[in-house]
Amino acid sequence: MVEQLLAQGFIIGVLATSIRLTAPMLFAALGEMFAERASVLNLGVEGIMLMGAYFAFWASFTSGSPWLGLVAGMAIGGLMGLGMAFISVNLRANQGISGIGIYLLGWGLSGLFFRLTFGAISGVAGFQPMHIPILSAIPVLGPVLFQHNVLVYIALLLVPLSYVVLFKTTFGLSLRAVGENPEAADTMGIPVYLIQYVSVILGGILAGLAGAFLTVGQMNMFVDNITAGRGFIAIALVYFGRWSPYGILAGSFLFSIVDALQMWLQVIGLGVPYEVLVMQPYILTVLVLAMAVGRSGGPAALSKPYVRGGT
Amino acid sequence: MNRKMLGLAIALLVPLNALVACGPTPAPTAAPVVVTKEVPVVVTATPAPTKPAKVFKVALILPSTMDDLAWSQSMYEGVKKVKEEMGPAMEFTVSENLYKIVDAGAAIRDYAGKGYDLVIAHGSQYQTVIRDIAREFPKTSFAYGTGFQTGPNIFAYDPQAQQGGYMLGMLAAGMTKSGKVGIVGPVKGGDAIKYNEGFKQGVAAINPKVIVLETYTGSFAEFVKAKEMAATHMDAGADILTGTAQQSVSITKAAAERKGVYMLSSDMDQSKLAPDTVLASQVYQWDEVVRRMITLNKSGILGGERLVLDFSGGKLQLVYNPKLEGNIPKDLKDKVEKAKQDIISGKLEIKLP
Repeated sequence: MVEQLLAQGFIIGVLATSIRLTAPMLFAALGEMFAERASVLNLGVEGIMLMGAYFAFWASFTSGSPWLGLVAGMAIGGLMGLGMAFISVNLRANQGISGIGIYLLGWGLSGLFFRLTFGAISGVAGFQPMHIPILSAIPVLGPVLFQHNVLVYIALLLVPLSYVVLFKTTFGLSLRAVGENPEAADTMGIPVYLIQYVSVILGGILAGLAGAFLTVGQMNMFVDNITAGRGFIAIALVYFGRWSPYGILAGSFLFSIVDALQMWLQVIGLGVPYEVLVMQPYILTVLVLAMAVGRSGGPAALSKPYVRGGT
Repeated sequence: MNRKMLGLAIALLVPLNALVACGPTPAPTAAPVVVTKEVPVVVTATPAPTKPAKVFKVALILPSTMDDLAWSQSMYEGVKKVKEEMGPAMEFTVSENLYKIVDAGAAIRDYAGKGYDLVIAHGSQYQTVIRDIAREFPKTSFAYGTGFQTGPNIFAYDPQAQQGGYMLGMLAAGMTKSGKVGIVGPVKGGDAIKYNEGFKQGVAAINPKVIVLETYTGSFAEFVKAKEMAATHMDAGADILTGTAQQSVSITKAAAERKGVYMLSSDMDQSKLAPDTVLASQVYQWDEVVRRMITLNKSGILGGERLVLDFSGGKLQLVYNPKLEGNIPKDLKDKVEKAKQDIISGKLEIKLP
């Protein structure tokens, strides 16, 4: 047993699987981070992911190109984001309720479209893993880091990119100002509503990308409710990561590594009831969230609709 | 302000409900069946007022979708077949994605209240909710499964999944080159656990040295995790995979993406999804069960029977993929066939722990 745990294949397997599991979480959580930094809590991520997943699958199935699928997934994600922005910014609806509405709408519509267009489960080729020359031949590191499909690298690159956008650009500064104190931002001449629109749409695009990753980068097929709650985990990861890209990276990697570990432990057959193993990533999430209470909170204006000139 | 939020939430939810409501209902136009089977006239004690032949109404509650290529679809196809035979004498409505017992309970009560004759809740998890509702509607027949506890107006159906599991396990042990086979299960319950137990015994019957890797996702519909788990099994050396529930399509897909790996599916034949990968399947034939429940109901017996699906009744079947059948050595196939005959004759009984 011990030698199995220490075997190289086991460690490589756990790490490689966890990096693959991290990617969709990263897309969705980074997107949600932008929306929340602009004070809009978008609970509809799961629904947007489902729509992105369906449209990416449909477009790559009909065109034969996973890249077109990706574009379609991002486009529908942006459109859903636009809807969420209109509801929360212009109509000032309760963001919790309307987010759940977006989720249910996305779930229902994606399932319906799938039935109308396909009618039966089928597959696409999707993005294939690339073996990066030289690097992929490095022992241990090669199979862990350099044998994934291109979307995994895009997801990982998005982390520093988001950091730069958030903390090193004027847009990022305005975004954070809107999330902390929209009135003050407004008096400084920052177009609050525009900033909120842009961030929520960006969040939608990334959620669509997360869904697209599932159908054309991981599963290579679409099934009803394929996300199985990943959109909600992504929202938890934003809290977990304290609204910062690196925090989110750490959180999603930790979550994925525990998940990958429990899969491998089951394969080895530890004799521990599987229920205990399956629970581990969720227990971890709850623990970290509980410990995070009391520490510096998120954007001060989170989920409060902004009304120009006071209420 | 508050009213605005509420209005908005409702506005968002209403069209969705409408979609859900109209989505699953089978198109009424799709019934140009010319079958004019005489419905056996049931003589009842009180002369019934001569109504024009009563339409038998069946409602089906599914935990997933009717096109899931597994548990739900197998039952849907069964009821559909009976509907095609009965034509206008039967009405058939489906509600999908009611995995949660509370949601399913609301739908079951709704159908019973609307005067449906038979309400089938297709899952073992519906047992308690069916028992509660059945008391309130003594004139309606209810059915659920996998299960065995019945009631005066409750049928329970009980697929002996371990039988096909045993035969597929034999095939797995005979076909593996690596000496490792993998089960990606949903949860340890219902017919999944029966299937897995049978599978393991089947493997041991052919070659006890073959290692069976066994994992569970903790859900019936964790498609992504099921595929990753299947990949984990193959990374660990398994070259034959199996598993049940709607997420099993993920295992099939994972196996199809690697060379030299076979999948053995249950509930439905999944070879259409992966013609070069699915070697054989255990297939559920629900139409017999549905027909039996309708006949009993019409003769005044509303429940109390446990309907067993097994190989001897032909309600379970072993289906080979014709494209790959030739790859199976003849003596292995003969052994599987022998086991099948022994299971049918009762000589071989697969014991569950």
